[in-house]
Amino acid sequence: MTGEHPALALRGLAKRFDDKIAVAGVDLDVPAGSFYGLLGPNGAGKTTTLSMAVGLLRPNAGSAWVLGHDVWANPVEAKRLFGVMPDGVRLFDRLNGAELLAYHGLLRGMDPAVVDQRAAELLDVLALADAGRTLVVDYSAGMKKKIGLACALLHGPRLLVLDEPFEAVDPVSAALIRDILQRYVAGGGTVVFSSHVMEVVQRLCSHVAILAGGTIKRVGTLEEVRGARSLEEVFVEVVGGRTATGQELSWLSR
Amino acid sequence: MAVPVSEPASRVRPVSARHFVRLKLRVMGNNFRGQSWRAALFVIGSLIGLWIAIGAFFGLAAPGLAGEGRYALLVAAFAGGLTVLGWLLLPLVFFGVDETLDPARFALLPLSRRTLVTGLFAAALVSVPTIAVLVALSGLVVTAGVLGGWVAATVGALGVLSGLFLCVAAARAVTSAFATMLRSRRVRDLAAVLLAVAAALLGPLQIAGLAAIQDTDWDRLSGVATVIGWTPLGAPWTAGIDVAQGRAWAAAPKLLITAVTIAALLAWWSRSLESAMVGAASTGPARGKPQVSGGAVAQLFPRVTGRLRRNRFGALVARDARYWWRDARRRANLITIAVVGLFVPVMVNLGGQGFTLDSEQGFSLTGDTSPLLVSLSMLFVGLLAAMTLANQFGFDGSAYAANVIAGVPGRLELQARMVAFSLYVLPMLAVVAVVMALILGEPTWIGFMAGTLVATYGAGLAVNSFVSVFGAYSLPETSNPFAMNSGAGVTKSLLALLAMVATAAAAVPAVVAAALLGDAWLWLGLPLGVGYGVGAALLGGYLAGDALDRRQPELLSTVTPRR
Repeated sequence: MTGEHPALALRGLAKRFDDKIAVAGVDLDVPAGSFYGLLGPNGAGKTTTLSMAVGLLRPNAGSAWVLGHDVWANPVEAKRLFGVMPDGVRLFDRLNGAELLAYHGLLRGMDPAVVDQRAAELLDVLALADAGRTLVVDYSAGMKKKIGLACALLHGPRLLVLDEPFEAVDPVSAALIRDILQRYVAGGGTVVFSSHVMEVVQRLCSHVAILAGGTIKRVGTLEEVRGARSLEEVFVEVVGGRTATGQELSWLSR
Repeated sequence: MAVPVSEPASRVRPVSARHFVRLKLRVMGNNFRGQSWRAALFVIGSLIGLWIAIGAFFGLAAPGLAGEGRYALLVAAFAGGLTVLGWLLLPLVFFGVDETLDPARFALLPLSRRTLVTGLFAAALVSVPTIAVLVALSGLVVTAGVLGGWVAATVGALGVLSGLFLCVAAARAVTSAFATMLRSRRVRDLAAVLLAVAAALLGPLQIAGLAAIQDTDWDRLSGVATVIGWTPLGAPWTAGIDVAQGRAWAAAPKLLITAVTIAALLAWWSRSLESAMVGAASTGPARGKPQVSGGAVAQLFPRVTGRLRRNRFGALVARDARYWWRDARRRANLITIAVVGLFVPVMVNLGGQGFTLDSEQGFSLTGDTSPLLVSLSMLFVGLLAAMTLANQFGFDGSAYAANVIAGVPGRLELQARMVAFSLYVLPMLAVVAVVMALILGEPTWIGFMAGTLVATYGAGLAVNSFVSVFGAYSLPETSNPFAMNSGAGVTKSLLALLAMVATAAAAVPAVVAAALLGDAWLWLGLPLGVGYGVGAALLGGYLAGDALDRRQPELLSTVTPRR
């Protein structure tokens, strides 16, 4: 039944904060089984878009559909199907890693025995088992990302929505996260993640959308968007940046 | 190549207190931008504060205006002393301190400690409560002026100003010191004891107040006032009156006492400030113990939750129960409930009596209190305990997103939070009832006291469920459990007032029953009170849960601190 539905479909999502338009009508179709990269400079509206897509932030207009379920009209069904790792949101970080996973698992209505087994496995694979009783608040940035990912994966969702999963993560952890995500997609899952690291997106994604100024500028498969050039060239051209000419900041050299 | 290591810092413009004040005003203004309801609440709260202050102003000016010179010293010493004590204790117990300018933000700037302390102090002076206190206590200047002319008025004004400085310095120093202590695990228990002592100071205050009402012996009272006048509590406020009444010699030493106290408090503050700034960078060593026992689920559930079902509800309760202990901000609230919950009823029911008997026949615990008075004090305790939940979602901050993503139903969420909090509070309330019964020597009163406590607490849970859903506000992500966002103080006070009135109204049946039912209430109190409390809490959670279902995302954005 869900085969014909896209894993995530956004229709005209828009959000305005006071006098500033953060997202001005985003349409997006994420095919099931794809590895989707949402690219954009800082402040492009990536986090706002993803927050609206998963029910964390009420949009001013538009709708979001997860595997055919409207996130805002029928949240219970939709929320069951996806796992989220938000960025800039704290975890319940006065718990230790195992406690946090148990909390998330039970909150999702999972069987305690399954929670125990999966939590142990996830902690082991993500190299967090050594942390033992250390509270998540005392974890390093990379460890926090990993435990966040574990929380999102625990209930075996069909769709993973990750906001900046590679931000502030060291190369070793990043490689681990990449492997896990690739396995997840190979197993039939769908991943949507935001990033501004071209190298990672180029290596992982089957599809790419470039978001700037609250609207989608380019969208399609990686090949369609990139063409013959590198993704970075396309990105800088679309977003429109400037480079220092050398005239300014002369006081920096002494 | 060889860059001199210590280059003279040329043309660095000095940073003065003015910069801090302007920064604070700017931050406050920006916080209100685009949040008109918050600005409106701030204005309303400020107007109410000012209105009360003007009332107090005329009260304090009354001895002067009416020409009743003999009351002047009394009023100055007691009103001023109460003000200082209030500034000292209320931030710890109820309100927290406005931390618009978080000291940790200045850690990387090249500022000397002296500059920082004077700057933050000046910024702390710019607030609604300080203005209100200044307005109110200016009444003392009028009294001094009318009774003693211009010189007395000038000295009085100087005294009131320095007294205000004393209040602010005391509030900052004490909260900062407590915050430092509550952060460190080793002295945490010591901090709890100190907080208990601080709250115990409420006792003498009660005694003084009740004694003043009961005792018409003005001579002895003015004796007490004279003594208070020579302590830092009363020194700044009485200096002007002294000049007016011909004791000009006393003014200089009193102002000196005040100045020395302010200096000492600022020095104390500056020491704990340093540790607050460093503490923000690292929250201390990891408390990791390598060995892990049991599965993930078994670890989540603390022992107090007993054999709670391992499901959604159980997980919510277990997480919240862990948080009440592990989160310094929540723990500070629990300690407050425990301490105030014990001391206030004891003082209300014994205070006045104990004091008057004290002088004549030694200390004795034979207060002739009534079930009505006891009920009222129990009502206060239940109300105070439940009020802690008024901003329960604010404690979580953006972490609440996890529950929104998981789609936790509102009723389940609120009920679980009530249960988790009650795991700590109900035993405390039981202890209050037992201790009160023992102290009063009325063991048969246990039942109705516990009943009143639970009834009020349950009604309070219901009221505060609504407050927490509709009146949530974000708390700053600092390590200071007493810190408040700017403007939130006024909002919080208004909401707290509203919740208190509503809770008290909802609990009135318990008090009325105590007054009407007489002896039958002694036996009916417990079952009726518990039934009423549990029913109210369930109903509140049921109704507020529906509201929560409709505004989960909005609630999340109001409790997420803006960065």
